[in-house]
Amino acid sequence: MSTLDKAHTSTRPVPNPKRSLITRLHMGTGVVVGIIIAAIAYYLLKHSVLTYTDGVADPLEPHSNNIVLLGTMFAWSIGFMAGIGAFIGPWRWLIGKDLTDEEILYMAGDGQGVKRYFKYCTDHKVVGIQYLVGVMTLLGVGGTMAMMIRTNLARPGGHFVTATVYNSLVGLHGITMIIAMIIVATGPFGNYVMPIMIGAYDMAFPRLNALSWWVLFTAIPVLCSAWFLGGIPTGWTAYAPLSVQAGPGMNAFIATIIIFAVSTAVAGMNITTTVIAMRTKGMKWNRVPIFVVGSTISVALAIPAFPTFMVAMIMTGLDRTYNTGFFDANMGGSGWLYANLFWIMGHPEVYVILIPGVAALMEIVPVFVRKPLFSYNAAIMGFAGIAGLSILVWAHHMYIAGWAPSLNGAFMVTTEMISIPTGLLFLVLIGTLWRGKPWMKLPMLSVFAFIWDFLIGGITGIYLSDVPADGYLHGSMFVTAHFHFTLMGAALTGAIGGLAYWFPKMTGRMLDEKAGYISFWFVQIGFNVLFFGMFMAGAEGQPRRVMDYAAMFKNSNLVSTIGAYSVGTGMIILLWAVIHSSRHGKVAPMNPWGAKTLEWTVPYPVPLTNFDELPVITSDPYGYGKGK
Amino acid sequence: MANSSEHTPEVLAPTPGERLTNFFKRKDVRRTTIHFFLWTALFVVLGLVYYPRWMPEIMSKEMKSAESIMIWFTVISAPIAGIVLAIASNSFMNMHRGDTPPEDGPAIRTHGPIVAIWTVGSLVFALVAIGWGLIEVNSQAVAAARDAKSAITVEVTGSQWLWTFNYPAQGIETHNLNLPVGVPVIFDVKSADVNHSFWPVQLGVKVDANAQVTTVIYTTPTKVGAIDVKCAELCGLYHAYMETDGAVMSQSDFDAWVLAQGGHKA
Repeated sequence: MSTLDKAHTSTRPVPNPKRSLITRLHMGTGVVVGIIIAAIAYYLLKHSVLTYTDGVADPLEPHSNNIVLLGTMFAWSIGFMAGIGAFIGPWRWLIGKDLTDEEILYMAGDGQGVKRYFKYCTDHKVVGIQYLVGVMTLLGVGGTMAMMIRTNLARPGGHFVTATVYNSLVGLHGITMIIAMIIVATGPFGNYVMPIMIGAYDMAFPRLNALSWWVLFTAIPVLCSAWFLGGIPTGWTAYAPLSVQAGPGMNAFIATIIIFAVSTAVAGMNITTTVIAMRTKGMKWNRVPIFVVGSTISVALAIPAFPTFMVAMIMTGLDRTYNTGFFDANMGGSGWLYANLFWIMGHPEVYVILIPGVAALMEIVPVFVRKPLFSYNAAIMGFAGIAGLSILVWAHHMYIAGWAPSLNGAFMVTTEMISIPTGLLFLVLIGTLWRGKPWMKLPMLSVFAFIWDFLIGGITGIYLSDVPADGYLHGSMFVTAHFHFTLMGAALTGAIGGLAYWFPKMTGRMLDEKAGYISFWFVQIGFNVLFFGMFMAGAEGQPRRVMDYAAMFKNSNLVSTIGAYSVGTGMIILLWAVIHSSRHGKVAPMNPWGAKTLEWTVPYPVPLTNFDELPVITSDPYGYGKGK
Repeated sequence: MANSSEHTPEVLAPTPGERLTNFFKRKDVRRTTIHFFLWTALFVVLGLVYYPRWMPEIMSKEMKSAESIMIWFTVISAPIAGIVLAIASNSFMNMHRGDTPPEDGPAIRTHGPIVAIWTVGSLVFALVAIGWGLIEVNSQAVAAARDAKSAITVEVTGSQWLWTFNYPAQGIETHNLNLPVGVPVIFDVKSADVNHSFWPVQLGVKVDANAQVTTVIYTTPTKVGAIDVKCAELCGLYHAYMETDGAVMSQSDFDAWVLAQGGHKA
C-alpha cells in the first residue's frame, strides 16, 4: 500500500518541452492538415489522372473518378496523421535528434487534463478511453441504421426509405458494427485495463498505440463519406463483381477497410508483444488473468486474418481504378477468388470478436461467485482450439456458391469440430457457477444473458454448418438471426458486462445500477423477441438483405421490429447511464468488487506509470473459496 | 505412513452407486435436475413443433433432409442445452443481493473426470452431426449421379433482376419455373451480370449464379404444388423483387404447359 500512496500523491512538475512542435499539435491541427492535404491531392489527381475510352482521354470515366476519390481519402488519412504529430518521433529519430525525456513525458499526456484525449497521446489509459468513446459512437451510428432497417421492414411494402438508401443502410450497418465489435473489448479494456492487469508500466510500444487509435479515427469520416457519395449497394461482404461496378460510395468502403487493417495490425502486434514481454515478475503463463489470455489470442488471430481482407480490397480497388480484372469473369478473373479471400478473413474475424467478450465474462464470474475459475486450462484450450480451427472453416460460407462442391464435406467436418472447444467455454462458465451464490450486480447479469444467447447462436450454427440444411437456410433471415445471436447476444453482451465491471476503474465512478438493470432487460428481452422473429422469417423462407417481402412474412417481421424498438430503448438508457454516471455517479472505491487482479490495486485516477514499483505475483488471481 | 493407517478405524468408502445416490439427494442437485428436464423439454418442443410449423411445404428429398436436420439436431442438443441452462438458472435463483460480496463458495478449481466426460461428449456430439451430414451429402450426390440420365435439364439465368428458365430439350424459355413431379431435374445456373443465388424455396436447394461459369444443382420434386423462386444473394437495387413463381405438376399437365408455350415433347 505504501508504494501506491506514494504514487498517488507524488507531484511531478508538468513537463514543458519548450519550442517543441509536439506541444502545438492536436486533433484540430490534424483535421486541418488532413483536409489541406486531401484538397491538394484531389486537385492534383483531378487534373492529372486521365483514363482513356477508345483512345480518347476521358476525365468523366468512372475509373478516373475512383482514382481521384481513393487518392483523396488516403491523402486525408496521411495528412491527419502528419497534422497530429504522428511522424515527429520517426523523423527526429531519422535525423539523429531523438525525442528528449521531457518530450516523451509530454506525449504521455502528463498533467494535461482533458486536453490529452485530443492529442497524439501515448498513455494506454488515454487510448483506452478514446477507443471506448469511438466504440460507443460506432455502435450508436450502426444501431441507428439498424432501427431504420427494421422500421422499413415493419410491414410489407414499407417505403420508409428508398431502395438505394435501404441497400446502403444494410451495408453500412454491417461494416460499422463489424468494426465496432472487433474493437469493442480489446480496444477499451485491452488498452486501459490489460497493461495494469499484467503489471506493466505501459504498452510495449506506446507510440504505436496512439497510432492504432488515430489511424482508426481517420477511417470514421471516410466511412461516413460513403453516404454522400451515393452509398454502397453490396452489403458489408462487398462481393465482386457487384462491388467492382458499384458507384463512388464503394471507394469509401475500400479505403475504410485498408485503413482499418493497418490500425488492427498495429494494435494486434502491440498487445501481443506487451503480453509476451511485459508481464510482471512471477506472472507465469498459468497465472495470467483469463481476459488477458483471451484478448491476446483474439488479436493474435487477427494479425494473419485481416491482411487478406486488405488484399481483397486492394484488388477490388485496382479493378475499379485500373480495370485489372482480378474479380471480373469476363476478363479471366473470378468472383470466387474474392469470396475466398474475404472469408479467409471473415471466419477468424467472428472469433476475433467473440473471444474477448467471453474472456471478459470469465474474468467476472469468479469475482461475483467467489469461486475460482473452473478449469483455467479448459478455458485456454477452448480459446486456442477455436482460434486454431477458425482458420480452417472459411468455405462453409460458400457451400452453395457452386465453388468446389466436393470440398463441402471437408469444411463441414472442420466447422462442426468447433463445437468441441466452444463446449469447453460453456463448461468453464457453468463449472464456475456450480454451487456458487452469484452476487447479482450488473456485470453478473451479462453472464446469464450470454449463456442463453450464445447457446441459441451455437445450436442454430450447428444446422447452418450442415451442408443439406444450409442448402435451404443460406442467404435467408435465419443466418442473420444466427450471427446476431453470436455477435450481439454473446460478444456485445460480454463487452457490456466488461464495461459495467471496469467502469469504476476507468471513470472512478460506479455505473448507475437502476438504469443499468432497466437497460439490461429492455435490451435482452427485445433482442430475443427481435431475433426470434427473424429465425421465424428465415425458416419460412425470407431472404436476407431485402427491402420488402411477401405478405406471408408480415407477422414475423412485425415481431422483429417490435423487438428492435425495445433494444433501441434499452441502448439509449445504457448510453445515458454511461454518460451520466461517468460525471455524477457514486464515487467508486479502489476495489468495489473485491477482485484479486492487479488493476484493482491501483487508485483512480491511475498514476501515469500505473505502478511506482512493479508488483510481484505469487499465484493466479482466482484464489477464492473455502475448503479443499 | 503405512503404520498410521493401520491404527485408524476402518471406514468403508462409499461405492460409486452410493456416491451417485448421495449426489442426487442434495437439494441443489435436485433443483438443478428439475430445471434440466424443463429446459430439455423446451428445446425438444421448439424443435419438434416450431420448425415444421414455420417451414414451407416439403416438396423434395432435399427439403425433407434440411428440415430433419433442423428438427433432430435441436432434439439431440436439447439435453446439452438442458445441462447448461439448468446450472445457470439454478445459480440465478440462488442469487445474493446487497452491497457486499457473498461468502466464498467451495474452491473447486477443476474436476478431471467432468472435463474429460464433457470433452468426449462434445466430440461424440460433433461426430454425430458430421456423420449425419456426410451421409446426407453423399446420398444426395449418389442419387444425382444415378438420376442424371433420366433427368430434365433447366438452364437458369439470373440477371438484374429477373429469372429466366430455358428448357433446351423442350425448346422453350419462360420466367416461371414449372416442373414435372417425380422427374429428377438438373439446374444449370449462370448469371448475365453480378452474382445471384437461385433458390426454389420449397425444393430446399440453392446455388449461386455466377458470370461465365455454370453451377449445377440437382433435385427431384416429390409433390405437386406451387413453388416460389427467390434470389438469395444481394444483387443490387431490386434484389428484394427478384422473385418469381412456378409449380410442380403432373407429367401430363407439364407436357400440356410445354406445348402451350410453343415447345415440344422431349
